[in-house]
Amino acid sequence: MSGSKIPPLPPECLEVLKHVWDYLDDQLTDETTERLRAHIAECQGCFQYKSFQENFLEAVSTLRLRPGASPELREKVLGTLRTEGFAR
Amino acid sequence: MPASSPDEPSGRDAAFAREALPWMDDVYRFALSLTRDPSDADDVVQETYLRAYRSWHTYTPGSDCRRWLFTICRNAFLRSVERDRPTVGLEDVERDVIGAGEVYAAALEEGYTDLYARADIGPAIERAVRELPEPFRATLVLVDVEDQSYESAAEILGVPIGTIRSRLFRGRRLVQERLLAHARDLGVVGDRGPEARETP
Ligand SMILES: [Zn+2]
Repeated sequence: MSGSKIPPLPPECLEVLKHVWDYLDDQLTDETTERLRAHIAECQGCFQYKSFQENFLEAVSTLRLRPGASPELREKVLGTLRTEGFAR
Repeated sequence: MPASSPDEPSGRDAAFAREALPWMDDVYRFALSLTRDPSDADDVVQETYLRAYRSWHTYTPGSDCRRWLFTICRNAFLRSVERDRPTVGLEDVERDVIGAGEVYAAALEEGYTDLYARADIGPAIERAVRELPEPFRATLVLVDVEDQSYESAAEILGVPIGTIRSRLFRGRRLVQERLLAHARDLGVVGDRGPEARETP
């Protein structure tokens, strides 16, 4: 752990550090999820870390708002499909 | 108007138009994440829809058409791309989650804790994701942008779920490191000073 900026953590906080993404992605067992939820609710540091990671995932998901297929591409695709017999 | 049978050409085309065509934006974004080049992405989308149309009989009506299209898109892309991918071991996964914690610790220390909540972070995220190496980029785009489950992403990319998790975590860590570097470059300072030290 040499050079790490992370100070030694209590085991509960270490578990949040290691599993915050599993937690946010809903990949943990109910029991573990509940244990993490309870700890995050009472530990300010872990709550802030969870929020930081939540903000990250939220920010990445906004890339979905980027433009998709251009009208020209749409026309090209439909044109190709029509040569295959697509009749719409 | 009588409903046409899915076996008739008109019914088949209607079903294709209804279930497959509406996802072209999503397929394009995924294709662009794979190719990183808009005109190559156009070609992959064309190829995807052509293959999808030709093999429409293999699609189960009412199932997840977007997932089905993403899988075809991935295969259409793979046609022209090398297949050996770096693997991410389990011990690397731990390093990635700790690495993300270190980004946070540095952000706290330097006053960037609102980094990801800033309204102007969008272009930096877009760039960081675009510059992610494969296989991390496709995985992160499927799960974090296109909202696919780990299971769907595993099916689309043809890898085990554990591989999705390790690739995703590596991708997230790399993007976070990029964003922290970006904040430092700009000298963006959040609303909290260096005194706020609450590392978990
Ligand atoms: Zn804690």
